[in-house]
Amino acid sequence: MSDTPIARGPVAVSPATVRDGWEVDARVATGTLTLSDESPLAKVHVRAPFDGASRAALGVGFGRTARADLGTGEVLVVGSGPGEWLVLGAPNTAGALRAAIEERLAGTGEFTTVLDLTHGRGLLRLTGREAATVLGGVCAIDFGDAVTPDGTALRSSLAAVVTDIVRDDQGGTPSYLLHVERSSGQYLADALLDPGRPSGLEVTGFRGLA
Amino acid sequence: MMLLPCPWCGPRNSTEFRYVGEAGPRPDPATVTPEQWRRYLYVHANPCGPVRETWYHRAGCRRYLSVERDTATNDVRSAVDTASAAAASSAPGDAR
Repeated sequence: MSDTPIARGPVAVSPATVRDGWEVDARVATGTLTLSDESPLAKVHVRAPFDGASRAALGVGFGRTARADLGTGEVLVVGSGPGEWLVLGAPNTAGALRAAIEERLAGTGEFTTVLDLTHGRGLLRLTGREAATVLGGVCAIDFGDAVTPDGTALRSSLAAVVTDIVRDDQGGTPSYLLHVERSSGQYLADALLDPGRPSGLEVTGFRGLA
Repeated sequence: MMLLPCPWCGPRNSTEFRYVGEAGPRPDPATVTPEQWRRYLYVHANPCGPVRETWYHRAGCRRYLSVERDTATNDVRSAVDTASAAAASSAPGDAR
């Protein structure tokens, strides 16, 4: 892979390195509370009838997430809204992922739209035991385990930015994917770093879905 | 803080919603007079008491909701998805 980036995420990085053609942060945090820019992940948006065959084909309903293999490697399917899904995959697989989803939904006979949003959206990941506390500082949702356990997806106002919030724990540690319009990515990162500073929030490099 | 019980997302702060206005029948654009259309757009009953309103959950499910709210107390008696409610009421023989 060339060292020349072909794409950048919404959050400014320093120092930078190139991975899968994306300019990403080269830092590796050692703390227990981290924020990373996961924008290189492929992001495909699906719209279909809320309760039809497409829902069964995608394997998850509104408000929940599921890991699946749609033929492009492991992806995270998120029921982000009534009749809306967000599918996250490995970097540089958006085209193949979109084609795979279209093929899967073609047999349903329902009117569906599948759109590659990879370069139009920002995706952050906040990981750590204190992650819920940090989110609670900028959002009115109860992020306790009883209300938003692992595998929960919801959309709300996070620091006044409309954000898809996806709980996707990593190795038993609470972790939240935050999906926003690309133009809000830098602001949201700054808005999280501020309340996260007392808890020791550190910026780290791209991790990926695993 | 005012909470609205979204049927999809649960109770949410009203700042997540956009107030659309009092709910009412939309005149037929093919037959409506300019006076009727102006009254439909700009003249509202604005009662002190129960009223049926339309809200849009812009920071959540992005659905239009029909909300029955008491403007004097802010008590919300019901909140349903506008499209789902319309589909249910138009379905013949639907017992819901």
